[in-house]
Amino acid sequence: MSDRLFQLFSEVLEVDVSTLNDESSPDTIEQWDSLGAMHLVAAIEGEFGVQLSTKEIMKMTTIGFARETLRKKGVDI
Amino acid sequence: MHPSDPKLIWIQYSEKLKKKQTSGNDLIRVGLAGSFTMDPLVPYLGGCLLKRGIPGLVLSVGPFNQLYQLCFDPAAAFGKDALHGIVLLWRVEDLVPVLLEKALVGDVQAAESLFEELDRFQSAIHNLRKSFEGTLIISTPPYPSLPSFDILEMDQPVAGMMLHNNILRRWTDGLNSIGRIKIIDMNGLLLQEGFACSHDARKWYLYKQPYTEAFWAKVGEQTSRIIAAEFVSAKKCIVFDCDNTIWGGIIGEDGLSGIELGEDFPGNTFRDFQKYLLYLRNRGILLAIASRNNKEDVVEVFEKHDAMILSLDHISVIEAHWNSKVESLKNIAAALNIGADSLVFIDDNPKEISEVQARLPEVTCFLVPEEIAFLPNMLRGTGLFDTTGITDEDRARAEMMKAEQKRKEVSAGQSEEDFLRSLELVINVFEAEPIHMARVTQLINKTNQFNLTTIRRTQDELEAMVSIDHTHVFTMDMEDRFGKYGLVGVAIVKKTSEEEWFIDTFLMSCRALGRGAETSFLAKIASAVKYYGGKTLRGEYRPTKKNALAKDFYRNHGFDREDASGQWIASVDSVKKPSDYVNVSLKLVD
Repeated sequence: MSDRLFQLFSEVLEVDVSTLNDESSPDTIEQWDSLGAMHLVAAIEGEFGVQLSTKEIMKMTTIGFARETLRKKGVDI
Repeated sequence: MHPSDPKLIWIQYSEKLKKKQTSGNDLIRVGLAGSFTMDPLVPYLGGCLLKRGIPGLVLSVGPFNQLYQLCFDPAAAFGKDALHGIVLLWRVEDLVPVLLEKALVGDVQAAESLFEELDRFQSAIHNLRKSFEGTLIISTPPYPSLPSFDILEMDQPVAGMMLHNNILRRWTDGLNSIGRIKIIDMNGLLLQEGFACSHDARKWYLYKQPYTEAFWAKVGEQTSRIIAAEFVSAKKCIVFDCDNTIWGGIIGEDGLSGIELGEDFPGNTFRDFQKYLLYLRNRGILLAIASRNNKEDVVEVFEKHDAMILSLDHISVIEAHWNSKVESLKNIAAALNIGADSLVFIDDNPKEISEVQARLPEVTCFLVPEEIAFLPNMLRGTGLFDTTGITDEDRARAEMMKAEQKRKEVSAGQSEEDFLRSLELVINVFEAEPIHMARVTQLINKTNQFNLTTIRRTQDELEAMVSIDHTHVFTMDMEDRFGKYGLVGVAIVKKTSEEEWFIDTFLMSCRALGRGAETSFLAKIASAVKYYGGKTLRGEYRPTKKNALAKDFYRNHGFDREDASGQWIASVDSVKKPSDYVNVSLKLVD
């Protein structure tokens, strides 16, 4: 089974899951613009049942950082 | 996510669309724009529209907070493809934030300027209404989210509410005077869902979008109801069980004095449900009973129980016996001349519901909720009975159905011709005028059986057609000695050459059929075409799953089939004449 977080990013940003890794960022994924970020936040909050603060959202500049934030909130990922 | 979650439905649909698994034809195109970021609306609106039976759609989001520009040049915002609808949502605080704050603290000059700004915005919308043919959906402004508009403010209570009420009043009056605008009540939605629960400050400051996902879901659902009502036909009849549905208990066992209905719990829930059913009937929804009971027992409750809200007069058909509900539903559909897909069925027995779902899947079923307090509001917000506008015919339909029952009683034991003669039919054929358009549109979108081409159109499309020379929309009303039928027929006829006219649309409500109405209607259209200088009429039968009834219409009315095209042609003089027992008149525009 593929990684839940990669799966989510791939669905929201409409990119192939195999192209994603923890270093993926707005610089490497064209679709990860501000609109993409907005959809990502909604999807992450819906999928993992968490609420992200604006600070946390601003720090999510790579998938790895997103993973770290979610782990700190107790999400097993 | 639950499989029926609109967002999930939308995601799956978008994937199919991308892989070209769904055809690109017949797509409904809707443009969305707002004074704030509108993108979160897309999956909710899209999913809800698909759930409501819109076969395919494309939603495009226009640039954020450029509503004026959009009103004057929608193609720049949404692209060149013709749109079926545009949705505009806006907030006062996005449009005129400074004036709004000043007006709140009593600056009369600022309030004046604020209203002028609103008028200016409205004249831009007026301009859009004139240039755009599709459906236009505009929001009311929701209660301002500015900190100064604190609903719980102690120093100047209700100041914000009063200012906002004035804005709302001015705005809706203005939209109504422009006409042909559907209003989505964002303020009402905010009231329904709760101001505090609907806003998400993080999303506003990060992305210029003010609302929670849950609120967007509601906005999507509500907007989808307005759009779907233009394209999907509404339910016509609600069929309900009696025991534990419109009263508590079982009449056959508990008896007249034992059933629960009245002021106290749980009788008050059933009584309120009856009130809701009566409200639906007053909107033109037919009521029918499907109950496993002795008919006398059911009738006795209606006649003798003093807490009954509904009376027998309100019920169009009673199927009370011990046969299956599937049979009852079929009988009801047949008696009312409507399809089973126009029925909503409510029962407290899950087995009955699943049997109906298995054998008549086109019927929409509801199980009486376990929590009986939810019964009266069970159908609220489902949008099942939504139409683009309730017409006078809707309100009178239930009465007309009763007249129909009387006609059936009189017809028993007479020859057909004697019966028809005894009806004293009067038919008036005339060209549709603006006041008829709501009903004409409704017939175009609801009539399935006697409909030669089944081309659906919105009211806006229709009005645009009428304004073109050489296209005539005919309609007819009908009356007999038992009562009025109202507007029951529509035909759209276009002049295609010096001599030839083409019948684009010809349809008739089923309750008017079989009395010579269709023959009279066609004959008068032929007379009108002749008057306008035409020599031949060309028509077409496009088969659908439901319109076999109309298959031989042209053949039986003096038309010949043209082999090459499969279309039907007749000279205006050879079209079949109306029967002599019908009194038919024709009135043309000039």
